[in-house]
Amino acid sequence: MKSFQPRIGATAGLLAAVVLAACGGGSSSSGGGLGSGDLLVGVLAPFSGPDANLGPAYYAACLAAAPEINNSGGVGGRQIKCQQFDTRGEPADAAPAANQMIAGNSNLMAVVGCTSDEASAVAPIVDKAHVPMFCMTGQSEFNKTKLPYFHRLVPADIYDAYAMVGWIQYGPNHPAWNKVALVFGDDIGSQSFVEPATNALKHFGKTVQNFPIHLGASSFRTEVTSMLQFKPDVIFTEALGSAGTYLGEVKELNGSKTIPFVGTSATIDPQWFKDVTSTIGVDDLVANYRGVDLGYTFSGTAYDEFQNNLKIAATTFANAPKYNQRGSTLHLYDGIIMSALAMVATNSHDTTVYNPKIKEIANGTSGATDVHTYKEGLDALKAGKSIHYVGAAGANDFDQYNNSQSGYILVKYDAQGNEVQVAQLTPDQTKALSDAGGI
Amino acid sequence: MSLYVAAFGFGLVSTSVIALAAVGFTMQFGITNMINLAYGEVMIASAYVAYYIDSAGLSIWLAMIGAALFGAVFSFPINRFIYAPFQRRGTALLGMVIVSLAVSLMISNLMLPIVGYFSVSYRERFSSLLRLGPLALTVNQIAIIFLALAVMLAIHALLRYTRLGKAMRATAANPTLARSCGIPTQRVIDVVWLITGALCGLAGVVAALDSDSFTIASGAGFLITALAAAVLGGAGQPYGAMLGAVVIGMVTELSAAAWSPDYKEVVAFAILVLVMVLRPQGLLAKRGALAAAG
Repeated sequence: MKSFQPRIGATAGLLAAVVLAACGGGSSSSGGGLGSGDLLVGVLAPFSGPDANLGPAYYAACLAAAPEINNSGGVGGRQIKCQQFDTRGEPADAAPAANQMIAGNSNLMAVVGCTSDEASAVAPIVDKAHVPMFCMTGQSEFNKTKLPYFHRLVPADIYDAYAMVGWIQYGPNHPAWNKVALVFGDDIGSQSFVEPATNALKHFGKTVQNFPIHLGASSFRTEVTSMLQFKPDVIFTEALGSAGTYLGEVKELNGSKTIPFVGTSATIDPQWFKDVTSTIGVDDLVANYRGVDLGYTFSGTAYDEFQNNLKIAATTFANAPKYNQRGSTLHLYDGIIMSALAMVATNSHDTTVYNPKIKEIANGTSGATDVHTYKEGLDALKAGKSIHYVGAAGANDFDQYNNSQSGYILVKYDAQGNEVQVAQLTPDQTKALSDAGGI
Repeated sequence: MSLYVAAFGFGLVSTSVIALAAVGFTMQFGITNMINLAYGEVMIASAYVAYYIDSAGLSIWLAMIGAALFGAVFSFPINRFIYAPFQRRGTALLGMVIVSLAVSLMISNLMLPIVGYFSVSYRERFSSLLRLGPLALTVNQIAIIFLALAVMLAIHALLRYTRLGKAMRATAANPTLARSCGIPTQRVIDVVWLITGALCGLAGVVAALDSDSFTIASGAGFLITALAAAVLGGAGQPYGAMLGAVVIGMVTELSAAAWSPDYKEVVAFAILVLVMVLRPQGLLAKRGALAAAG
């Protein structure tokens, strides 16, 4: 009999888990009112593993949004809290993390994060639990998603890829770049840049070759040697977590000469900057780096408020202020504030009620008042007005699939790691690039 | 063809880095019967110690000595005050693995607020590139190869020609009998943890230097390759770990040259699985310096 005891224990544990999951399997509840107790924003993202630099950027967004909301009385008096749920950047780890987050937190008001590493695994889980989510994935599978609780405030990766090609075609002050090496991680998310970039580059008569790398490897010497034999004029890359090692080895094996490189919007990141400058040096990065980003102004009431809140967030997370120009941090900050305003606008903590309102507040309706902060939104709602939130990252424009897109700018870094805009892609240029990509 | 020659050179560097890590790891298991999953975290902690010494303006080679000393001083109490009490109570090997996993997580989380998420690099990460036809290695990489060779020869001499080495082999073969023969096994185990801790510290700096940049998360990657080399060669066998390091180091680099780099780890671990199927005891089991007779 003794040998059966663990099995009985395991069965009991499983039953308990099922019951718990059933009890807390979603944050929606029927009825009106904003409820009581703290509200939780789940930051579902990689905090360890090769993409561990992504999670902190999203956590900073939540920690900045919390005082913005809480200092104005919260959501009907309910305070916002932030909690990390580590996906390790792996779908196999992400799905249990998402389930645990949902089962253990009935006060979940929104989820932010879910990168390309794990979005395919976690988005259906979060959607099934009826929790609004703001995902930082560029995967094309979400271009026409049918998940109503999914929101994306950044363009699909293919547009990042097109914008990178835009640097070659329309970017100022660089020699002719005719041979392009694509250096992205060998995971599905990273490789989604390859096809659109290859199509567009070939369309413009460029020679292009893909050199995938396994992110997180301790060295890429053979891969770098292989890439150098191609003799590229420029490298397209992202290589989160491995860019420093890779580009350092490029410099080392290329006679201490750094090859110009164009980064995705995810490379506008303090950790990426630190990682790369630690190996090739600041001067080389400033001279050779080109990047693409969404057209942020980094100014205005909403942005100033965001910066102040990042400073407050530093009491919890010392590096938070470093994310003041990280696009994803700005967007997710806006996403949380829009969710809170949607709750107030509908006077409901029922996710099925306030989720549709998020899109309405983001896009604005006819006659809606522009608001830039949570407090402005509250005041306008109290005055009986409908609102249009124009946040730290600017205005949003969700389509029928809850995808919001804006135009691209071409950027560089200064020596302090600040983004410097050097040009903006016009709508005509963007269309030409998109047509060349053919996807 | 030139790519293969270059990959061979890089394979030598990878082999050296892996061998330094794997030999210490496998000696801990061979002599003290401890699969220490905290090994990777001690490596990365030592790499950070070297980073701080390097940042203070001292040579990376002096920093390496400091890191080796740190690895020894850090590993010793981990065994004395955490692992050994569990072992004395008769905790099974699987239980000890879990304990070491817990130690690994504790070290990692205690380090996080100190070192942060950001990647760091040594000041002297770049050195002159020397070319011999398609073979291209930096001075640092050549130094790593010679350092690994010297350490492997020293380990061989220690195990084969010294009284301490004989005591280690006796303790590994049968600790009860060794004690009965008057060998102070507890002292031998303490010395083993100091020596393997120093190897661990040294391996951490070499791996970090070889990677150009490293973060707190790098420890897991270091551990996996060391573990794979140790298992491939035959758990507990220093010479097996050296052979395992050669196989994994060379296969990963040469397969990256032959096929897509996507498959380099797949190929290396496929070989590991194949060896485990055909020869579960590993390549050099019962032939190494620490193996029991017979």
